[in-house]
Amino acid sequence: MIFTKIGLAITFSPNGLPLLKTAARIQNLFSSKLCLIHVGEKTDYSEIQMKKLIEKAGIPEESYQLVWQNGEPSKAIINAASENGVDLLIAGALEKETVIKYYMGSVARTLMREALCSVLIITNPSSELGSFKKFCVSVEFSSLGETAVKKSYEFAKLEKAEEFVLIKEFEVPGLAITVYDSGSTQDTQKSKLQWQHEEEEKLGIFAKELNLKGLKYYNVALFGKQGWEARNFVKNNGSDLFVVPSPPKKLKFFDKIFQHDLEFILSQLPCSLLIIRN
Amino acid sequence: MILSVNEITIFLISISVLLFFARSFGELSRYLKQPIIIGEITAGIILGPTILGAFFPETLNKLFHESDGVNYALQGLTLLGVIMLLLVSGLEIDLSLIVRQSKTAFLISIAGIIFPFFVGFTSAYFFPKWFGIHDMEMHFIFALFVGTALSITALPVVAKTLMDLNIFKTEIGFLVIASAMFDDLLGWIIFSIILGMIGQHSSNNIGLGYLLISIFTFIVFVLIFGRKLINFIIPYLHKFTSYPGGILSFIFILGFLGAAFTEYLGIHAIFGAFIVGIAIGDSVHLREETREIIYQFVTNIFAPLFFVTIGLKVNFIEHFDFGLVTIFLLLAFLGKVVGCSLGAYWGGVGKYESLAIGFGMNSRGAMEIVLGTLALQAGLIQEKVFVALVIMALVTSISSAPIMSYFIKKGKENFGILSFLKPNNINFSNAVSKNEIITELCETISKNYNLNNEEILSKVLEREKSISTGLEKHLAIPHARINITDPIVAIAIHKNGIDWDSFDKLPAKLIILLLTPIDKPEMQLMFLSDIAKKFNDINFIGEIISSKDSKEIISKVKQL
Repeated sequence: MIFTKIGLAITFSPNGLPLLKTAARIQNLFSSKLCLIHVGEKTDYSEIQMKKLIEKAGIPEESYQLVWQNGEPSKAIINAASENGVDLLIAGALEKETVIKYYMGSVARTLMREALCSVLIITNPSSELGSFKKFCVSVEFSSLGETAVKKSYEFAKLEKAEEFVLIKEFEVPGLAITVYDSGSTQDTQKSKLQWQHEEEEKLGIFAKELNLKGLKYYNVALFGKQGWEARNFVKNNGSDLFVVPSPPKKLKFFDKIFQHDLEFILSQLPCSLLIIRN
Repeated sequence: MILSVNEITIFLISISVLLFFARSFGELSRYLKQPIIIGEITAGIILGPTILGAFFPETLNKLFHESDGVNYALQGLTLLGVIMLLLVSGLEIDLSLIVRQSKTAFLISIAGIIFPFFVGFTSAYFFPKWFGIHDMEMHFIFALFVGTALSITALPVVAKTLMDLNIFKTEIGFLVIASAMFDDLLGWIIFSIILGMIGQHSSNNIGLGYLLISIFTFIVFVLIFGRKLINFIIPYLHKFTSYPGGILSFIFILGFLGAAFTEYLGIHAIFGAFIVGIAIGDSVHLREETREIIYQFVTNIFAPLFFVTIGLKVNFIEHFDFGLVTIFLLLAFLGKVVGCSLGAYWGGVGKYESLAIGFGMNSRGAMEIVLGTLALQAGLIQEKVFVALVIMALVTSISSAPIMSYFIKKGKENFGILSFLKPNNINFSNAVSKNEIITELCETISKNYNLNNEEILSKVLEREKSISTGLEKHLAIPHARINITDPIVAIAIHKNGIDWDSFDKLPAKLIILLLTPIDKPEMQLMFLSDIAKKFNDINFIGEIISSKDSKEIISKVKQL
């Protein structure tokens, strides 16, 4: 099973209904349990409203668990997800937030950075959502990287995806400066191509070792700033789900100022994002 | 003041001569596989009082010294050269790389600053006479300067060395670059404080507190707010201005403005250019192509002019002091090599790789010479110290690549995948199936390494079941990741060959079993790709198969 229990951070906003429908669809796809988390005061009125919303999404009463939480929204959602054994948390988010909101930290961004389980962020959830058709996975040669590819590959097969692309980014800081000391631009270009070939070769072995069968996949090695290049590739490729393994360290405020890796993606989401955590 | 026709003519001829000599000697250096700066400095020594001045003093005087107008123009040009040099040095500092650098890179950077700084500072502070310092008022600042001079690493020389040794995109290359960037950044900040202190000392117009506040406010403002603003503007420049004209003008305008601002603050102009360079270079929108254009433009025209003119100012023979040169060389090697090697070693890098990193970080190159020139201009050091610094910069730059290469090779001998191959891990097999060969190899390994045979066998067979590991040209690499800390390699030779479901349908005769740690997937990928590349020649595989015993196989494999 890819994910056993799905959590959804639900609100009464216009995005609430499409997000509920998406969560229900994914729940059916994975044959998993569903845990709906609402942060707000539980009153008779809000209970009725919530029930109506869930009914409208077509989710049968016996197939979900509803959790009411109080407190600061992002922390409350993370705690509820953790206490209820959720292994995939779904939330909606804007592709890009205002500068102030980005640095202050919105609920969705905090979930992406700090949730203890995997997180699926749906961009622009107000529109009617179908299945994900074009998957792009950022590859890391690590155990978590392997898990991310395996899970997303199974997900893509269930979705009957049309495209599954594995991206490996590689960065060589200081390369241009070799031109400085009697190097030539042709030399750097040649090295870049050679490295790209090596990375593609490694990516090929990596994918082969995972024994991915049933859906054709493509390998792409990208040279440039980690996170940034992948984000651009995904955007230009028109992918609708981007899968990334979570970074080894928690991203903090400092990382927002000196952005790198995942932070480039979070600052401007190219499409819906699935962050895989162990 | 307006230059006369005669002065303009001399000025243009001077520049042509300087560029011609710089390029000629630079190319000669390149031909001799040495950093290009060696040639440029040599060209200056030949054109300056050391050689040309000794034999044809009138020509030297006519070309470079006679007219005040020409002198000013040349000074302006070389000032532009050094500002642009620092601007491009800043462009290549990757701030996010410094921020997220690994513990090892951090240890190398810190040890690579603290240790040489300590060695330099204490030597100059407690033994000022070694360095010809008699002015006890400047004694403290001079000691700070020597500490800084020994802490600097020249990123361009290091980068080129890594490229030539083909280790740029390796763990070592990454560590060296990240550490050199950090040391560069910290080194220039310390040096800007020293330059400010000299200014303060001579004119007494600003206080030290004001100086420090100015420097840090400038850094924080440019690197946090300026950097974000620049990153915001660059896409619009690409969209609305011609490429590369628009972006090049933008970079140089900002660079010169930054330089002007720090000069106004009482810190040297180069510092502003350097910090603005970092802010621009950090932008994700700045194309690699733009960087290369700027490097080509600055390093082929302006930087050579700056480096050649260094030789014009000083007589290198008259001011050569063997004792001082020896002291600087000893301190330079002691401080940087020991500091960086220890940092790397503490960070978990192997013995030989640590030494390779230490010697790689030891090259001072262009940055040291810029530092020395500014200190000379500011009156902080005498010609004797300057000459010793330049020689130290050149010697450390020349020695860096060959010594680094030696230790890298040494390290490879000890840490390459085939170094894990032991004679008792080699079987000559007569098995009748691939499963039997795998079983034999696993038994050998479990016996030699005291591992659980069943566990290894099941993992290898499980992997084999998913897709065959038979490659081409009689080679097969069965493999698995198991619970071990170091990789294990074993070889089976099957003279008649055995069907392995290979791509080219040829039977496998050379079977290399590879076991790697379960938690290091990248290690397995690297070794698999490495073995496949090394055993790509069917004749070489034939030679190995025809070996009589394990020792012969080991000696043949070591040739790879």
